[in-house]
Amino acid sequence: MNEEQAYAVVGGRGTMTVFEIYIKTTPERLWEAITSEQMRKRYSFGVGTVSDWTEGSEYKSAVPGVVEIASGRNLEVDPPRRLVQSFTALWSEEVQREGESRVTWEIEPVGSSCRLRVTHDQLGESANNELYGGWPMILSGLKTLLETGEDLDTPGSLRYSGAAGA
Amino acid sequence: MDEVFKALADPTRRELLDRLFERDGQTLSGLEAELPMSRFGVMKHLKVLEEAGLVTTQKRGREKLHFLNPVPIRLIHDRWVGKYAQPWASALSELKQDLENEEEER
Repeated sequence: MNEEQAYAVVGGRGTMTVFEIYIKTTPERLWEAITSEQMRKRYSFGVGTVSDWTEGSEYKSAVPGVVEIASGRNLEVDPPRRLVQSFTALWSEEVQREGESRVTWEIEPVGSSCRLRVTHDQLGESANNELYGGWPMILSGLKTLLETGEDLDTPGSLRYSGAAGA
Repeated sequence: MDEVFKALADPTRRELLDRLFERDGQTLSGLEAELPMSRFGVMKHLKVLEEAGLVTTQKRGREKLHFLNPVPIRLIHDRWVGKYAQPWASALSELKQDLENEEEER
């Protein structure tokens, strides 16, 4: 789907969502935090994402042996600026029924910080908001990790971090 | 963070966020049609929301679409609410909601 077509479906809640955050870090550090399995775990409810991060490659987000969260393909990989991924949620039967959507990560340096924009689109009409509802917590945790080196420990943010295999 | 609190301190701006929560990616004209307010008034409020990072925009042809960005609210939650809102606090807020709903049903 090209950009025009993607926008053409914007209408009801859920076809496209945009999340933005400013983080005091470099594009390289931010890219690393997004693509490193170990770093990712620390701000994604304890869920690691594994991939070789080449264009066309697959990725899997899971707590091995406990829960599968998502899978998809890396459609565009342009470090440290842009990552486009297909996204299929796996954590429940309800979200599996939603099928494939798309997640675009865009990093733009602003002064001594970076603006990170995550666009989750190609969602179905009136998509289950569980699909994209976790982004604010993930991005808040990512900011905390990069700016302080510490994990966010608000309720829910460490959901799987104590789980076996995590 | 001051900007976020200031942006949220106005009922019209909170209303705009609720409208975008219900239906994301709206144009100025779309939002204006739903509110009893001039185009200029809505524009002014949207600008404050944008500056606070609560609304982001994307161009589509000649139109500008407005999207709710809930991330700054999450940051406030993680800094200012999570710490104080231990389970007993959320239980109290649920109780408040239940009681108020009962009140409305009567």
